[in-house]
Amino acid sequence: MNSVHQLPLQILCGCAIAAAGLPSIAAADAPTYAPVAAQSSVSFVGTQQGEKFTGVFRDYDAWIAYAPDQLANSRIDVTIRLKSMDSKSQERDSALADADWFDFQKFPTAVFHAGVIRATPTGPVGDADLTIKGHTKHLAFPFTWKAEAGKTTLDAHVTLDRLEFGLGAGEWADESIAGKKVEVVVHLVLTPAPAVPAPAPASPGKPAAPAAPSPKH
Amino acid sequence: MSLRSTAARWGAVTRMFHWGMLLLFAATVPLGLYMTSLPMGAHKLKTYALHKSIGLTLLALAALRLLWRSTERRPTPPLMPAWQAHAASAAHVVLYALMFAVPITGWLFNSAAGFPLQWFGLANLPALTAPNPALKHLARGLHENGVWILVGVVALHAAAALKHHFVDRDRTLAQMLPGVNAPDSGVSP
Repeated sequence: MNSVHQLPLQILCGCAIAAAGLPSIAAADAPTYAPVAAQSSVSFVGTQQGEKFTGVFRDYDAWIAYAPDQLANSRIDVTIRLKSMDSKSQERDSALADADWFDFQKFPTAVFHAGVIRATPTGPVGDADLTIKGHTKHLAFPFTWKAEAGKTTLDAHVTLDRLEFGLGAGEWADESIAGKKVEVVVHLVLTPAPAVPAPAPASPGKPAAPAAPSPKH
Repeated sequence: MSLRSTAARWGAVTRMFHWGMLLLFAATVPLGLYMTSLPMGAHKLKTYALHKSIGLTLLALAALRLLWRSTERRPTPPLMPAWQAHAASAAHVVLYALMFAVPITGWLFNSAAGFPLQWFGLANLPALTAPNPALKHLARGLHENGVWILVGVVALHAAAALKHHFVDRDRTLAQMLPGVNAPDSGVSP
């Protein structure tokens, strides 16, 4: 998936307006946001040998255009750099980096793209594609959006089947070792951001892997 | 055959603890060496899980054994020089201490490494500590050195028992041997 790089450029002008906190004036454009890294988290809860554990991804980019009355122009894009994973166990982290699991070397990122966001009685739901390890799965992404007292947050949790993404196939498929259901928990504290997501190299201060930055495939 | 120990020999319960724990110990030590040599994979994790399950069993048995021992009399020991009696007592203290210390440091190592702990896939046990690299290193050292000290003291203990049996020709070993037909008195063959 490289759709992150195909964003509609016409929303460029929405930037200034969004940043000024006057989203409703932008008739055709939803305000755009990026997460405040220090207050946000992208994590997952897996099960190993009957016990739940939590892992976090410390390095990711997220870009969100959303307003409840601007659904046509709303979208969510997230790119996670997988090697930033920390599950509080060095042995587990290094196993998950291997080819049997995420295969960081060949597949350094996971990419999430929700190009359509629908309003449902229970809240907004993104129609999303999630690509991990070369497997793209379509999934519903229900989320909670809160914008109050100057603080905008997005919260979501979705349950994935790791085997659908080729994570831990073969002997690892055994559920007594690793449960196949993995819950992904997203908590983003958002701040207005430019309408066009910063390309990956712009993440400053990171001695990013040589292969990572520019558009892939 | 008596469940409880008598003046003549150890009771059946004590003998079960003694030989059962020896068997489990003799299984889990090589398993521990084998598992660390394996490449990362589900088989490695399962082998670790088995090693940990046996270790937890040994820890529980050690606690039960100590409780049971506190309610028991001891068979009359054969006559021996005082230094030998003292050495035997000291060895028993070390054996009991390590029966607890080795599995507990293994548990600590597991917890500090951030790994789950499951007993034969049936029940999960809590972590003794949060993940902690420094403590993990320390606990690993204690576990691995502790087990070699334990192996050494077990070997010493066994050598002493064989010496009693074959050199002194007394009943020290016979008092602990399984079997219903062991004579309650007299000299072993």
